[in-house]
Amino acid sequence: MKRFSLKWPLIAISSTLAFFLFVVPLYGAATYSFKGNGGKGHSLVNYQWLIHADGFYPSLLTSLKLAVLAGALNLLLMVPTMVYLNLKGQKFKPLVDFLCILPLIIPVVSLAIGAQVAMPEFLQNTEYELVFFFVIIALPYTYRALDTSLQTVALKTLVEASRSLGASWTRTIIRVIVPAIRSGITGALFLTFALSIGEYTITSLLHWETFPTWTVVAAQQNILGAIAISVFSFVGAIVLLTAIALFSKKRVQQVEVEA
Amino acid sequence: MRKRLLTGVIAATMAAASMVATTSAHAAAIDYSKCTDLKSCGGMDALVKAAQKEGKLNVITLPRDWANYGEAMDLFSKAFGIKITDDNPDGSSAYEIQTVKTAPASKVPDAVDVGITYGADNSNLFSPYKVQNWNDITSTYKDASGRWYGDYAGVIALSYDTSIAKAPKSFNDLKDPAFKNMVAIGGDPSAAQESLMSVFAANLANGGTTSDVQKGIDYFSAMKASGNFVTALASGQNFLAGAYKVSFSWSFNGPGAVATAAKAGKTVKYVIPSDAVIKGTPYIMAIPFNAPHPAAARLWTEFLYSENKGKSSTTLGSTKGMTGSKIFAAINGGQNIWIAGGALPIEYDAMVAKGTNATAPAGYEIPAGAKIVTPSPADQDAAKALLKTQWPAIAGN
Amino acid sequence: MEVVKAHSRVRSSGRGTGVLPLLPFFIFTGFFLIWPVIAVTLRSLHGNKNEWTLANYRPILKAGPYLHAFEVSLKLSIITAVIGSILGAFFAYVIVKYAHGKFGAVIDSISAVFANSGGVPLAFMFVAAFGTEGVVTTVLKNLGWDIYAGHFTIFSFTGVVLVYSFFQIPLMVLVFKPAIAGLRNEWEEASTNLGASQLTYWRRVAIPILTPSFIGAFFLLFAGGFSAYATARALTVGTVPLVPIIIGTLVDGNVISDQANLGDALAVGMIIVATVAMTGYIWAQKRAAKWRAS
Repeated sequence: MKRFSLKWPLIAISSTLAFFLFVVPLYGAATYSFKGNGGKGHSLVNYQWLIHADGFYPSLLTSLKLAVLAGALNLLLMVPTMVYLNLKGQKFKPLVDFLCILPLIIPVVSLAIGAQVAMPEFLQNTEYELVFFFVIIALPYTYRALDTSLQTVALKTLVEASRSLGASWTRTIIRVIVPAIRSGITGALFLTFALSIGEYTITSLLHWETFPTWTVVAAQQNILGAIAISVFSFVGAIVLLTAIALFSKKRVQQVEVEA
Repeated sequence: MRKRLLTGVIAATMAAASMVATTSAHAAAIDYSKCTDLKSCGGMDALVKAAQKEGKLNVITLPRDWANYGEAMDLFSKAFGIKITDDNPDGSSAYEIQTVKTAPASKVPDAVDVGITYGADNSNLFSPYKVQNWNDITSTYKDASGRWYGDYAGVIALSYDTSIAKAPKSFNDLKDPAFKNMVAIGGDPSAAQESLMSVFAANLANGGTTSDVQKGIDYFSAMKASGNFVTALASGQNFLAGAYKVSFSWSFNGPGAVATAAKAGKTVKYVIPSDAVIKGTPYIMAIPFNAPHPAAARLWTEFLYSENKGKSSTTLGSTKGMTGSKIFAAINGGQNIWIAGGALPIEYDAMVAKGTNATAPAGYEIPAGAKIVTPSPADQDAAKALLKTQWPAIAGN
Repeated sequence: MEVVKAHSRVRSSGRGTGVLPLLPFFIFTGFFLIWPVIAVTLRSLHGNKNEWTLANYRPILKAGPYLHAFEVSLKLSIITAVIGSILGAFFAYVIVKYAHGKFGAVIDSISAVFANSGGVPLAFMFVAAFGTEGVVTTVLKNLGWDIYAGHFTIFSFTGVVLVYSFFQIPLMVLVFKPAIAGLRNEWEEASTNLGASQLTYWRRVAIPILTPSFIGAFFLLFAGGFSAYATARALTVGTVPLVPIIIGTLVDGNVISDQANLGDALAVGMIIVATVAMTGYIWAQKRAAKWRAS
């Protein structure tokens, strides 16, 4: 019985929709970013201005640094937590779920005000305080991504098999569970990264300068420059994350080959 | 033995002498976080010296193109060699007050520039300081003990893209069908100061009084119904994308906005409406008592209230070796820098009487004989209450 | 002897060690999340002169601009969550089924970045595309269709819904993809072998398995849409009155309100509303979680 393949119609529909909803707006903004001086013609002046603007590299490095730390802290905290939650801590699930959704429900501005008022002075004197808040804001997505992934694998079986073969908890998590939930981890990591690089409200209210807050200042009197910054941030983040994804895929394949 | 005793006595005497010298030096040392005017701060030379020693100044929420603050910061920095850090230029008055209250010590602003209600309501946060020209400041807008003082105000102007067919000159003009889909406002009037004042201006243009802005609200209602008023947010990027062509804003945002638009390829013109001249209540300046650089804070304040006509940041040469007071006398004072930015500085009337005011840029002069109206804080509260209930219907679609 | 030892080892690890392994999480969220929230809640219970009061909550509970803002916020978040979750699930399915290898990695990155977009940059992109002088508007006008001739404008509730899809759909894709990826081909094969049609497979196997994750993702989109504000604020002037916008104005604005801590009360209001919705979500999840793989 030959079945009518839905493949190409589905791809066609989704591509068209994606084109109008995602590609066209980005293209629309990009056309402005390529305008020349005084809005005439086409050129890369706005991007050149951006890259040579005072503070571009320091603020970008700060953002990247904080994003990497936030990603690492997030996984370190949440992977063991989510594994335990799905294994033996089932009764705590609703509570943890609620706590992880809370950062999404609380308006970021209110969380920032709360941070201003509640955080001790020694913490407020270092920019690394932002790492903790980035992890907090990423919690909703992290929980969701990891939980969904964990529910698709036979967690209990995997863990029992690994433990009965003599593996410690650490080894089990790193070598057995993590590869199994790679999809969820990647999603969580990417979102944490993207979120940290783009976070503005808390950073601004806690008086720190990262890439997003720097761009607002730098672009004050330069509308085209501001647009170039948004397009650059978008495309740059996509390129960066894709590079990480491709690199990590290669490494995993190498590990598998070695094993 | 005797030699040792002698050395000991000499050493002791020298120590005693230096202690006396230090004590008297300490007695003469000024606490710059507490001195209340230029005299008690040791005079201009001493103040400049102390400020330069501090080397830094924290300002907050000062956009470069707002009332020409960019020039003020550049000139101050260049003349005195003090590095200025501007926290969150796009921020609001509430952000400034919150920062004074909650920021770690090094990030507390040395001076704030806030809306009048924010200044008056929080006077306990500020330390008193009366500038040299204190008596030239309008008494309605300064605190008797010197904790806060008005600095500048603006007039509501019409701003428009010169590429349109008809150039508007008044609120009445905008009712013309030629302005269909063209008029926008920069924020929700029940929440944003500039937009609130725009409603007062429309109100005045239609015969209303400051105590009741219903006529202003009706104006916008009618404009929405006719399709002239669009619900787009009047912002730089929306303007560039052609979302609107005409808007309302403070006169002191004009010169900066025109320059910024030109860089993006758009020509913008500001005009004071012929049927309504609404002058806002002035912004308020104050020095927080916990300012981390108190001498620099006071010097900055003296600078902004100075009525001097002198060099700008582009014409100023090196100030190396010059005494503080000489530098101060050589540079433009803040009051005239604000005039160049399209603002009405607080000492304007006194300056006009003395003839020390610079001329306003072309297009920002107030029409001769125009009646200038300023809504009081009470008027503003009443208007906000009215707008809170009626604006959603006008904005919604 | 060894058998007994092994048995007791299994026994002692089998008995739940309770909350201990979750302590790092609870301490972390307790200090960096709960503590600031408590600070905000305490502030909401204080009046202008620092006295204890419930006065900040009164304007919210009676008919007026604040209650209206809650209505609009709910409407916007529910509508965009529905659109986002359905279209996002559709995209996720197509991607999982037909996008392989490197392309999948690119999609993940794009989804993560798009899911986090918002505010002025996003608003500008849509004004540049669908505004009065936008790229699409101009093209359509040249083809004879003036979309601005009628009631449509990007600067409206409908416009904001359109713009929200830009981040709601990718978020759904990112969060729901793992669930679809978890649908084993073997299940589909097994079901076909047992004589079920494609439709039956979907109805009886795939959808029940996917439902808990779908509901979870839907709620994520709802909560995200509920607290988003920068985009609507960059597009319109009070056309779409959202609670977070009002909070922003009160807590970080230029026009002072009568009640200093009204913004904090509104924030607490948002938490309460979302918590109520959350209980509905937990109930729905419990009912749908019969097919969890163990």
